[in-house]
Amino acid sequence: MNLEERIITTLKNNMERLQEINIESKLKEDLALDSFDILMVISALEDEFSITINEEDFSEVVTVGDIVDRMRAVNKKDKDKR
Amino acid sequence: MGFESFYKRFDVDERVANVAGFNPYYMEIDSGLNEKIWMNGRQIINLASNNYLGLATDERVKEAIISAVEKYGASLCGTPISTGYVDLYKRLEYSLSNFVRLEDTIILPSCYQGNNGLFVSIAKKEDLIIVDRFAHSSLIQGIKAVGCKIRPFLHNNLEHLEGILKRSQDYKQIFVVTESVFSTDGDISPFKEIIDLCEKYNALPIIDDSHGIGVLGNTGKGILEEENIINFKGIYTASLGKALANSGGMISGKKEIINYLKYYCPHLVYSTSLTPSILAGIEAVLKIVSSEFESLKNKLYSNKQILFASLMEAGFETTECIAPINSIKTQSKENTFKTAKSFFEKGILSTPFIEPSVPVNQGCIRLIAGANLTQSTIEEACEIIKSVRKT
Repeated sequence: MNLEERIITTLKNNMERLQEINIESKLKEDLALDSFDILMVISALEDEFSITINEEDFSEVVTVGDIVDRMRAVNKKDKDKR
Repeated sequence: MGFESFYKRFDVDERVANVAGFNPYYMEIDSGLNEKIWMNGRQIINLASNNYLGLATDERVKEAIISAVEKYGASLCGTPISTGYVDLYKRLEYSLSNFVRLEDTIILPSCYQGNNGLFVSIAKKEDLIIVDRFAHSSLIQGIKAVGCKIRPFLHNNLEHLEGILKRSQDYKQIFVVTESVFSTDGDISPFKEIIDLCEKYNALPIIDDSHGIGVLGNTGKGILEEENIINFKGIYTASLGKALANSGGMISGKKEIINYLKYYCPHLVYSTSLTPSILAGIEAVLKIVSSEFESLKNKLYSNKQILFASLMEAGFETTECIAPINSIKTQSKENTFKTAKSFFEKGILSTPFIEPSVPVNQGCIRLIAGANLTQSTIEEACEIIKSVRKT
């Protein structure tokens, strides 16, 4: 699975209702996620990628694509550290 | 310098109420919670309150309250740690502990306050609190106040909960928080299984039984009796203003933790005690429940089933649940308010829920038919339900 697929799968596994998700899906408008759902998603992403996420980094996230960008940046930071 | 921009913060969004032509909140009621209540000069069937057993206006409860006022007066004018700890208060702590079969209890001005005060008193920043996604606002606000890691789990989903517990073993203390009956749609948590998971992963279970106490179990003792949970090692909270028909909240559990809360829970220590009238009212309700629960429960569940059948017949989409709650799925905010308006205009007071009380576009209307509703009122309610669907 590539990064996008892993993120979409993580989202699907942490939602009360099954729904279609793509890279353009808006978390609030399309997926009806509220701040508590987003908290659940952040924790699930931490598990999936074995990282710690600062919740404030997610405050500007609007779409699934934004999450992908954030995770890419985190991965890059990790690689640079190594 | 003006404060225009500051006061702008407090604009209330009334667009949905305006679209529906109806604001279902803060509606004035001109009577007590009899089976029909007076509103704006007319009688309305009350399917909105949490008066499950119909004891809020019971004559014996009223008499106990009047006697307490005569003996103790209006207020204890002090917190429980000072002049608020009268014999009646101490006796009720004991009665409530016995009722839920736990070692000790504190009594607070509300369960909201209890849930708010509990977590800041017992949890630390290095702990983890895992909480059901649909937990009540009082629990969420209480948990957020701790400032520790919070992980919501999917509603009543044991697999999801276990996954989180498995991956979260590096915390000093883990708490798992849920409710017994989820009040908007009446479903019940698999609490026995949650306790098993807590034992497996060394977490402390915390349950809010506000809609279970006086309702669940063979003798009304709530979720612990319902699921035959003996020697519960976790923490139990409940409202005293629903089936127990008064007001206030309780926190019960092991003696050590309750004794600690008596001194270190600011929401208890710094709040004026419940009034003697309320304490006496709760005591009176417990006595009635201990002798009459079976018949009250039969009536409550019979009322629920009759309403459920009429909702089905009328074609409403409802949630099936064990609790004595009927919940109609109305989805959007607008439709939720409009349906509540139709009920109201035809003579039923209901409780509509929209976001943020429920997830976005999962609005619902809750109907609770208390045990005090007579056969003829229930029949009248069924006719109204059918006529609302036709409009």
